[in-house]
Amino acid sequence: MKSFKVVISGVGGQGTLLASRLLAESAINAGLHVKIGETYGMAQRGGPVMGHIQIGGTANNPQIRKMEADVLVGFEPAEAARRGVTYLKDDGLALVNKRVTAPVEVISGMVPYPEMGELMGLLGKVTDRLVAFDATSLAEEAGDPIATNVVMLGALTESGELPFGEETMLYTLRDSLRPRFLELNMRAFDLGKEAYREVAS
Amino acid sequence: MGNEALARGAVEAGVALASGYPGTPSSEIGNTFARVAKELGIHFEWSANEKVALEVAFGASMVGQRAICSMKHVGVNVALDILNAITLRGVKGGLVLVSTDDPSQHSSRTEQDNRWLGRHNDVPIMEPSSPQEAKGLTKYAFELSECVKLPVMIRTVTRLSHMRSDVELGEMQRLDREPVFDWEGFSYRVAGFEKLFRRHEERHGKIDSVQEIFEESGLNELKLEGEERIGVIGVGFAFTYVKDALEHLGVEDRVAWLKLVTTHPMPERLVARLVEHVDTLLIAEEVDPFIELHVKALAKDVNPDLKVLGRMNGFIPREGELSHEVVDSRVAELTGVKMPPEARDSLEEAKGDLLFDRMLTMCAGCPHRSTIYALKKAVQAVKGDLMNVVVNGDIGCYGLAHAPPMEFEDTYFCMGASIGVSQGMQRFGIDTIAWIGDGTFFHAGIPALQNAVHNKAPIKVVVADNQAIAMTGFQTNPQLGRTATGDVVEPIMIEDIARASGVKHVEVIDPYDLEATEEAFKSMLDFDGVAMVIARRECAMVAVRNMRPERPPVYIVDQEACIGCKQCLNTYGCPALMWNEDEGKASIDTTLCMGCTSCAQVCPVGAIHRRDDA
Repeated sequence: MKSFKVVISGVGGQGTLLASRLLAESAINAGLHVKIGETYGMAQRGGPVMGHIQIGGTANNPQIRKMEADVLVGFEPAEAARRGVTYLKDDGLALVNKRVTAPVEVISGMVPYPEMGELMGLLGKVTDRLVAFDATSLAEEAGDPIATNVVMLGALTESGELPFGEETMLYTLRDSLRPRFLELNMRAFDLGKEAYREVAS
Repeated sequence: MGNEALARGAVEAGVALASGYPGTPSSEIGNTFARVAKELGIHFEWSANEKVALEVAFGASMVGQRAICSMKHVGVNVALDILNAITLRGVKGGLVLVSTDDPSQHSSRTEQDNRWLGRHNDVPIMEPSSPQEAKGLTKYAFELSECVKLPVMIRTVTRLSHMRSDVELGEMQRLDREPVFDWEGFSYRVAGFEKLFRRHEERHGKIDSVQEIFEESGLNELKLEGEERIGVIGVGFAFTYVKDALEHLGVEDRVAWLKLVTTHPMPERLVARLVEHVDTLLIAEEVDPFIELHVKALAKDVNPDLKVLGRMNGFIPREGELSHEVVDSRVAELTGVKMPPEARDSLEEAKGDLLFDRMLTMCAGCPHRSTIYALKKAVQAVKGDLMNVVVNGDIGCYGLAHAPPMEFEDTYFCMGASIGVSQGMQRFGIDTIAWIGDGTFFHAGIPALQNAVHNKAPIKVVVADNQAIAMTGFQTNPQLGRTATGDVVEPIMIEDIARASGVKHVEVIDPYDLEATEEAFKSMLDFDGVAMVIARRECAMVAVRNMRPERPPVYIVDQEACIGCKQCLNTYGCPALMWNEDEGKASIDTTLCMGCTSCAQVCPVGAIHRRDDA
């Protein structure tokens, strides 16, 4: 089987690593082999974070080659553009959280944050399949902005791109997340699914 | 995860003791033990530093127990003194040292290749290429260690330590060996001084025997069908790039390859089979030409015409980790395969023009930011100019003090160095501030502080005490009053150590009180002699975590009152602050703000306050 490749990009503290892990555990629960390569150093200190997830296939190395990712899950618009341009294949699916996390360069007035239109325009040159929405607002609606990662997983699941079904993903969430946060995360997951349906149609 | 697999391998080998010091990319090995040690009847500890950690593990080995000790690459520099002694003396219970190297310096100040340190001390080295192999090799390393009576190094790189994949598990085991000191092996009283003292020759004999074992171990894999003129050696994790490149380019049948796992001592006979067979040999390894150098020496005897390509002649860049791009293109060049042109060059360029780098910064509400803010004000007031002191920082989150907008840190080098280097400067009248964290103070700051008192170097020490080893994931240190596995113990307070060491001016303050903190720094700077201020406040990430499921109190910028002076943004610069260009006013991102109140104290017109209903 050809492997299914996802690149997750975001900023330290956004829960991208947990999102990769949940995705990988779902793959394992579906009986598939999985490899994740993560790039984070001082991730919690506001730096860029990236996860490469390969499900199935025969590759030995966890890194995905440039322009070969089937899906980009961007947790922040600038980080989505940064990784999407490099890794997303032509006409791959780009899921993007439109909530901006300004870096210290922007906060302290050294550089401006790019226009949203320009960032999305970069991704638009790679693919027509761009689904962008404010996932952090939906997570806040669910009860905690930290659930942005589960909103994104909801959208990814709804896209039907994953090589396993929604039931597998839900099983993993129930199995892996702390029970007292489960209800909140289930709301977040459903809001992500809805958002995908609305924006993609 | 690679690191978890390493820990699992040790558990499957019946390890009785695990120790280490946190540091990216090694920390998850210890974190894993911290989670499971009690349940499995293993002793795990985060030790004071890497040297102590390895000594603790060696002690266990001398009484017959299997022990593992993990650290990042620079940690082995700290542990080198005892490592050298262990290799000369030998081990009893299997002793495994895990060194996690960091090619391309993802989170380190160097990309040093620790295989040289292993070789320097006749330590056998094995390098896994997958989490599965990491588990298997760790288990095997204990057997090898006991067989040849040497410690064994498992050397990983960041990409492997942080790689996740499905791993097939084996049985966990408990050996429950009776602890008995090996008198004949280690005691001067019993074995006699002469027998134990000069051991260099014996160590050579041991490492030679390891080479024989590695030749026949089956851990390495040679693919040589007979017609190939080109060969590639993929060393450790680098093998994954090589294997994938051969498949990607469709040249598997034309290229011979060797997957080399046992890198010291190199199995020369096995490598010679490839060396004597091919005309051209590419060596892919991270980071230094460790195997390449050895292959060149070997080729002189068995195939002097062999063309060796790798890091030494720059065929592969001399620095940095490997990538698909590098290995694919080099293999393509050797085999004459045409690579597709880079299709998105212009798009990448447009992206580069548009995007910022996203510099690292302290988190929203980080107490270190408040400490530095107050320190700058105090230095300005007492010294007249911020450039009238050299700020020698140290290793930890607070090391980000050099970044905008704080920009108040000049150097940082290695654990504890802030206090040492400050003394050499102070000796010649250069005013300094040593800026060190709580974890780092315990690791290597204490001898340096005592040196300052003893040798009368009147340095000023600021301890950024966030009550955690935060940067690597909140591991414990001796001040916290609990061990890695959750036992409650007597906390060792930094102020008590400082006072007992003869520091006459020691003050502990809460950095969220900016005014009091500034005053404390002023008296520290005015003090004649060694002086210390401990800025103590729990890491903001821990604070927010402990609030859950509650959210922090909501702080807002009163849009009527804000005068748009940007002082909060430009001089304080918390990531939770935002600037609204249209309105010309600041505001607060409530998803990030953790309610520390510092920016409210910075605002000159009192426009920032807690929302009435929150």
